[in-house]
Amino acid sequence: MTATTSPPTERLASRRIAWIRRRRALADLWRRFRRDRPGLFGLVVLTLIVFMAVAAPLIADPARFDLLAVRDIEEWQSPNSSHWFGTDDNGRDVFAMFVHGSRVSLLVGLTAAAIAIVIGSLFGLTSGYTAGSWLDRVLNRVTEWFLVIPFLPLAIVLVSVLDEPTLFGLIKPGLGVIVFVIGITSWPGTARVIRAQVMSVKERLYVDRARALGANDRHVITRHILPNVTGLIVANATLTVPITILTESTLSFLGLGDPTRQSWGRILNEAKQAGAITRNAWWYYLPAGIGILLVVLAFTLIGQALETILNPKLRERES
Amino acid sequence: MLTLILRRLMAGVVMILFVLSFNFFLFRVVESDPVGSLYRGRNISAEQRERIQERYGLNGSKPEQFVKYVREMARGNFGYSYANNRPVSTLIREKLWPTLWLVGISTLLSTLLGTIIGIWSAWHRGSWRDYLGTGTTMLLYAMPDFWLAMIVLVWFGREMGWFPLGGLEDPSSDAVGLTKLLENIHHLVLPGLVLTLSYLGEYALVMRSSLIEVMGEDYLTVARAKGLRDKFVRSRHAVRNAMLPVITLITLNFGFVLGGAIAVESIFSIPGLGNATLAASKGPDLPMLQALFLLFSVSVIVMNIVAEILYMYFDPRVRTR
Amino acid sequence: MAHTTATDRPIRAARRASALIAAAAVLTLSTTLLAGNARAQSDEKIVFTVGVTTDIDSFNLNVGYTVEAYEAWNLHYPTLTDFTDEDFAPQGALAESWEGAGQEYTYTIRDGLVWSDGEPLTAEDIAYTINRSRDEEWINHSSITANLTAEALDPTTLRVTSSVKDPRLPAIPMYVVPKHVYETVSADDMASHDATKDPGAGPFILTEWKTEQFWRMEANDNYFRGRPAVDEVVFKYYSDQDALVAALQAGEVDASANIDADNISEFDGDDTFTVIYGNQGTFSELSVNPGDNSQGGHNPVLEDLQVRIAIAHSIDRELLIDRVLDGHGQPAATMTPGASPSWDLDIPEDEQYLYDLDRANQILDDAGYVDSDGNGIREDTAGNDIDLRLFILDDATNGEFVEGMVEELGFDVTVRVFDSGQLGTKIAEGDYDMFLWGWTPFVDPDPMLSYFTCDQISGPEEVESGSYGYNDASWCNEEYDELYKRQNQELDPDVRRDLVQQMLKLFHDDAAYVALYKAEDINVFNNTRFGGFNCQPTDTGPMLFTNSSSSYANLVRVESGVGAANCGDRDPNATPVDEPGEGSTPATDGGAEVEIEDSSDNNTGLIVGGVAIGLALIAGVGFAVRRKGSADDRD
Repeated sequence: MTATTSPPTERLASRRIAWIRRRRALADLWRRFRRDRPGLFGLVVLTLIVFMAVAAPLIADPARFDLLAVRDIEEWQSPNSSHWFGTDDNGRDVFAMFVHGSRVSLLVGLTAAAIAIVIGSLFGLTSGYTAGSWLDRVLNRVTEWFLVIPFLPLAIVLVSVLDEPTLFGLIKPGLGVIVFVIGITSWPGTARVIRAQVMSVKERLYVDRARALGANDRHVITRHILPNVTGLIVANATLTVPITILTESTLSFLGLGDPTRQSWGRILNEAKQAGAITRNAWWYYLPAGIGILLVVLAFTLIGQALETILNPKLRERES
Repeated sequence: MLTLILRRLMAGVVMILFVLSFNFFLFRVVESDPVGSLYRGRNISAEQRERIQERYGLNGSKPEQFVKYVREMARGNFGYSYANNRPVSTLIREKLWPTLWLVGISTLLSTLLGTIIGIWSAWHRGSWRDYLGTGTTMLLYAMPDFWLAMIVLVWFGREMGWFPLGGLEDPSSDAVGLTKLLENIHHLVLPGLVLTLSYLGEYALVMRSSLIEVMGEDYLTVARAKGLRDKFVRSRHAVRNAMLPVITLITLNFGFVLGGAIAVESIFSIPGLGNATLAASKGPDLPMLQALFLLFSVSVIVMNIVAEILYMYFDPRVRTR
Repeated sequence: MAHTTATDRPIRAARRASALIAAAAVLTLSTTLLAGNARAQSDEKIVFTVGVTTDIDSFNLNVGYTVEAYEAWNLHYPTLTDFTDEDFAPQGALAESWEGAGQEYTYTIRDGLVWSDGEPLTAEDIAYTINRSRDEEWINHSSITANLTAEALDPTTLRVTSSVKDPRLPAIPMYVVPKHVYETVSADDMASHDATKDPGAGPFILTEWKTEQFWRMEANDNYFRGRPAVDEVVFKYYSDQDALVAALQAGEVDASANIDADNISEFDGDDTFTVIYGNQGTFSELSVNPGDNSQGGHNPVLEDLQVRIAIAHSIDRELLIDRVLDGHGQPAATMTPGASPSWDLDIPEDEQYLYDLDRANQILDDAGYVDSDGNGIREDTAGNDIDLRLFILDDATNGEFVEGMVEELGFDVTVRVFDSGQLGTKIAEGDYDMFLWGWTPFVDPDPMLSYFTCDQISGPEEVESGSYGYNDASWCNEEYDELYKRQNQELDPDVRRDLVQQMLKLFHDDAAYVALYKAEDINVFNNTRFGGFNCQPTDTGPMLFTNSSSSYANLVRVESGVGAANCGDRDPNATPVDEPGEGSTPATDGGAEVEIEDSSDNNTGLIVGGVAIGLALIAGVGFAVRRKGSADDRD
């Protein structure tokens, strides 16, 4: 540890050791996670839903919600043997829409969260590591600025305005815009949390000691800061997904979603427009709402479990 | 301490300037034509067109427009709505109070209820009470607020018939003064209920976990100092310290109060800022949107500053940094 | 173990909080009680409440354009003439009678009229309105007064001359403004004038308008047709359809014209409500770009008439009406130029573009658009897959259907959603292939017909300035333009009608629009409360938001029996009555006593339930707080 360079065999050995350590840590993590009942429940629910989303075409035939293909199907049927969730005002099978709608809800939620996490982490890491410097101050201001912009009104405006592919064709109208909008409005929370964590890790003695011993920035970041922050990033990521999913469903509900795809928010929007409330067609507006609820709940439970496990302060309490 | 506050205020002012510029450019990027919006393509003479563009400050180059824009803002002139040609400042003033009432009271109630449930759950951590409290609040947190609104509308509004289904008042009633106020409150109960239930989950969960964290810390310190496990020791600062994140959350959320109730306002026909934002985005009604954005952003900035000041006051550690 | 002081603080705080919550619960209860009472007291005034889902955009005659604004103006401002309910024949309003012909008419104005502020209403006001609106090109007047000159010969005599032959005369259904108010408003200030303070002379005067909440109009004692029986008309705004439906059911409103087709089945079986389906010429179309807008931006195959005809044949109108309108509509073969069905063109069935997928596909095959590479999409003459863009508005429900239908022809269809401003711009630029929209024509067909003349196609200057033309069919036909000019000045009604029919035939044959359907206006009213509504046209039109809005002045409160509407034979409760001309006596069915539901009846259940909830709330919180105090918890 004292030399600045180490002979190849030693490096290999230390890398192997690191890998073994990581695998053990993961197994340890899983063991702890398993003991957290709510977290486990969340994981089970999420697995089921993801499975449903992935296997959607196998579970339900998309033709069952093609407007022209269902032209002779009776509308507003309550749940029965041929339509498990009944039909809507156009004869479309609600169960099929529900199954296929999960894809967009999950996809948008996960992708937007990924964007938010990446941006947020970069900001947080940089800002926290250079705490106090001008760079930190600038990044802080930018973060605050994004926090300050009212995101739902911004989302509404951007979605209605960005009707042509922009930013080098990366953001296309429809899903692309939604993901972009949610992503750029959800990252400040992550940035703040990461920054605080990096700062607290930095303050711990051994980092200063390592630097005193001559370790460079990269060493400090990768060996000391990242391991302590990764857990938090993961936990935060899991907790960001509920926000992005709820945002997507709200946007779709307000009619701003992608009109060419099914999503749970869109199902709720169409249910409302078609008068499902007035008609008491509960089979139309309950499933999608419950779906959103379950996914959000699942991610929240998993995220909370991870936070408990990965946050050193909380972990000590457990013993 | 005072210098810190002043520094924060300065930063706040800079933020507001940022927001102003962002506002201006965002909405200029949007190709909206007030004359087209206002007159729906009905043919008007070039002269009338000129007059209207003059009125909306759309003549001149972009820099010229920006200068005029800032100047008028400073004067309190936020322009005229593209939808009905009325002064935006008047429209916002009219719509501000319903939203403030609705979301303000909901935030207050949800904070109270949420923190109570959070404390209750944390106190009884691990017991069935904890599971009940946390379970309920998690469910509420996970529920989309517009979905909850739909259900509440059907159940309490239509089925039970206990509360009116929309608006702020009964147009044919002659009530004035206190009775009128009560009538307004009567109309706000359902949307208020929905928002309260939607928000309280977050407070409860945060309060609970932060209280647990603080309790854990002191528990260890005392246990180490006394050399024994004392289940009944609660620190003097337990709840107070646990309140910190909650206070921050409350003050921050108050800032978001104004923009927060869009879907609920729409479902319950509350003529507030949320509904106005939705309506203004169809058009788009630029002056309205700009003013609304500014209002939302400024309220968040202001509450951010308040939150930081409060934080400084309550947490001596921060103050000495 | 004694409690430390630290635990006391949160307990105290929690107790304070629960007290607050309990107070809130009590407050809620008392408000429901009081609110219920407040309503009961106002029953002495006869108030007719209409539920709407769009607010007046502006009460200013030079700014407003929503249907609700027109309804409010119809009630507030007087017109020189208006239209009969039966068939839109011109009838005197401020004018008692008239004489003249061709380009000159002299009207005798009723004597002794006053504005609602007490000032006299004379021919001077009318002349002033005509001349000024012409000079300044007032938006909602100039189509009527552009070529007119008026002179008040004396307070009750008005002479009007037209500089061209105008077949619409002697009808001048223009809103008359009070001269004594408007002469203080300069032309520059016209658009910002606060018209809500204007005195009026119609059956109801605007007294209060709370944006996005309601507007109230009070009966005018000096209305020239007699003071209405109803004391006040209130239009209550609901931004949510389900809330409106529930409001109607609960008796919060008495009538509405904004219930969606999807929801009207809730009322169809209910005897308390009468549903009237009508049409004032409203139609919906799929506009296919034939390419006469020189700015381009369309798929060139659409220039081929055969392609447009094939598209027309691919639309299953019955399915659209069944699913989108819930059956409440009629198929349309071409556009409707005027509110009265008498202008409509009867196209023989074999010439219509009826739904026939096989035929459509055959037409395309014959025209040489085949799918040679087997990917399911036809190619054009250059060998490219035919890809068509379909633009729809954000509230369109028929978009997905039409997309599917056109795709059955072997075209690739891409749907994009726009708001009306954005779509208008796209159309003006000629940058579209197909879009879905609709129109509601005026009484006279001239404006609607004028929209499709060649000069109404936007060019680069129009796009630049933002002053778009009306021609959203991007269709230019010189023969059509010729016929338009002739009918515009044709005073013989039969000749004129023939010219209009020829124009419609050209429009149809060239597939300028693929007309879809005429959606029905759905009106519903609570027949235990009010009766006396007038449909316009009587046999086919709606009763609210009509061109002359004659229902309101004619309404009466129903004390016993059932209120009815004068809508031909569409109201089963109406007994045929001979109408004496201006407004008719309400038809009532002498039936059994009908209980008028009072919402305050719910109060008992409410009080009991509310108290129960309040107690439970207090008990629950108290319980929680008490439990927290005791220190028996596992850790």
